[in-house]
Amino acid sequence: MTTWDRARFGWIVLVASAVLGGAGPVTAQETPPPAQDDQAPAAVDAKGARTACDGCPPRRVGMSFLQATGINVIYGLGNLARGQVTGRITPKTWWANMQQGWVWDLDDFTVNQIGHPYQGNNYFNAGRANGLSFYESAAVTAFGSATWEFFGETNHASLNDFINTTLGGITLGEMFHRAGWLIRNTRATGKQRLWSEIGATALDPITGLNRFASGDASRVSEKPSDLVPSSLSGVASAGMLWRGSQSSAFTEAGDPFVEVDAYYGDANVGRSRTPYDAFWLRMRFGGGSAFSEARVRGRLYGQPLGKGLQFSVIQTYNYQNNDAYSTGSQAIDAALGTTRELSPRTRFWILGWGGLTVLGAVDSLPLGVTKKPEEQESSAGQGVSEGPRFYDYGPGSDFGTLARITHDGREVALFFYVGRQIYSLDGVRANHFLQHARVDLLFPLRGPLGLGASAEYFHRRSYYQDAESTIKTYRYPQLRAYFTWGNR
Amino acid sequence: MKRFRMCVVLVWLIPASAVAQDAQPAAPSRLWIVAGGASGTLRGHCQDCAQDFPFRHGPGLVGNAGYRVNPRMDVGADLFWMQWRNESGRIRATAIDAVAQFRPWESKGFFVKGGAGMAFVRNWVHTIGPHPDDSKALAVVFGGGWEFKPTGRLGLQLFATQHVGALGDLQTANGPVADVTGNFWSLGAAIVIR
Repeated sequence: MTTWDRARFGWIVLVASAVLGGAGPVTAQETPPPAQDDQAPAAVDAKGARTACDGCPPRRVGMSFLQATGINVIYGLGNLARGQVTGRITPKTWWANMQQGWVWDLDDFTVNQIGHPYQGNNYFNAGRANGLSFYESAAVTAFGSATWEFFGETNHASLNDFINTTLGGITLGEMFHRAGWLIRNTRATGKQRLWSEIGATALDPITGLNRFASGDASRVSEKPSDLVPSSLSGVASAGMLWRGSQSSAFTEAGDPFVEVDAYYGDANVGRSRTPYDAFWLRMRFGGGSAFSEARVRGRLYGQPLGKGLQFSVIQTYNYQNNDAYSTGSQAIDAALGTTRELSPRTRFWILGWGGLTVLGAVDSLPLGVTKKPEEQESSAGQGVSEGPRFYDYGPGSDFGTLARITHDGREVALFFYVGRQIYSLDGVRANHFLQHARVDLLFPLRGPLGLGASAEYFHRRSYYQDAESTIKTYRYPQLRAYFTWGNR
Repeated sequence: MKRFRMCVVLVWLIPASAVAQDAQPAAPSRLWIVAGGASGTLRGHCQDCAQDFPFRHGPGLVGNAGYRVNPRMDVGADLFWMQWRNESGRIRATAIDAVAQFRPWESKGFFVKGGAGMAFVRNWVHTIGPHPDDSKALAVVFGGGWEFKPTGRLGLQLFATQHVGALGDLQTANGPVADVTGNFWSLGAAIVIR
């Protein structure tokens, strides 16, 4: 019961507030919205404030920082309400944290790799909801994250939390912000409009709350043009997964899973200076844990190089957590891709990348320990993690490739490989080399329905920096059979 | 010698920009250069250490070089160098980070900055052992300040920053010390050239 619970509680509070906050606009919506012709010019909103476009929020820098602070207060109150010892902040704890500076924390994997990025997404959208650009909102994220670490908890400020909250918050934040704008129907009125705003608020609570508070949630307007993707597609898969390890064959009883891939915009073409005008999202539920995988790859920069080559700079968020292994990372990559026609009906696309992993995490047991012990209740009070922590943190590098063959516009084969090196700075001292490969074969059945099979291989070799220079290798093959719905 | 070289660079840069200002009105430039000095405070920490490490103080140099993305944002490299003394002699730390600096209000001088990179620390935590090796570290920086004449070609900034160097293990004469982190707080002033 640590920060993840707090994050979840905060999320619930925010969503509940959003839903309750919707009551005002419901009443307001009973009055017909003004005709489009009566709207003010695009650069001025309903209250006379200058905006970048019709439908864009007015630029309010001070308010974005104030709301980031407010988000901290909400999370802090959530901690207190649940009896978390870490929520009992005083000016004395603030001063102690400032005197101490940054340290590594001992929270569990899910808390640090999902809970904190989710919290960071709220800060980020405090910027976006108040008319700030992507990069300006990134600064708000760092501000919210740093102030939370120093002033939001009695724990010492955690360096890994700061990095995960800031970088993960930027990635998830822009992804959720754009996903919210996909759901939001700004041309609709009445109940249809209300539900579209509530749906968007569930994904991006801060933008939703701001829109309900300002009345934008019921005002008819255009969507901001830079938040409308050039293309949109998705594939949902459901099936069974069988996993093996170096010490055992494949499990007889498979794990059911549901996987969703969403493609926003086309990252493979075009000159782009708008961050996240194209991104890819993968989420997997089941298959070894309730929520076992999340990947976001957002394009920050795109430039055609001629001869069919496309250069991109990509920000990535990676989270994998199942019953066999756990790994997560925040990285910035440079990528080169190209598309080739193999025949008039068949196309081949390949992307290669390499870059820096700002902070990576991988599960790791101390040498001599073969099984992770059961977690004990903290004696220091609820919410205080005392360790030990069974995963390592560190920076590193990564590289990989993604290839796809399409026939008549449908995917028939996919190949994915990523290699990652993590130099452990906190945890068991080691150089971890992770390799992850996956091949999918897809067969169209009828309409959007298809059948798929995939083979996946996760390999970790860890070079420990002990006196014996121990090397350990872990292998986890996986097989999957699944149905698909939709198409790329 | 390093100090002397830095002074020469600073002296060379200031009149160059001043001449440019006299010759023509401030034109938007993509260049972003910051050079200045700071007073720094350091404190080390390690996860399993029982002792309370002392604060140590020393002078520092700060430099940024990069590119103005738009009137509110600059990106580039941040160099922070600090040295201090303890009983075993002189210790130096250098952090090189990729940074972004953001001025929320275009006409106002307030700015925040943040970034990450690498730090190099030489002979540093004396209290752990008498002969620690040089170490590389993951570096993170964040800070803020006020820039006077933020829209001109030549300006002055006052800043406060915190650099953190996460070293991991530190090899000392007494054996390895795990999960070492150094925090560097600095207050200073710098010349800004755009």
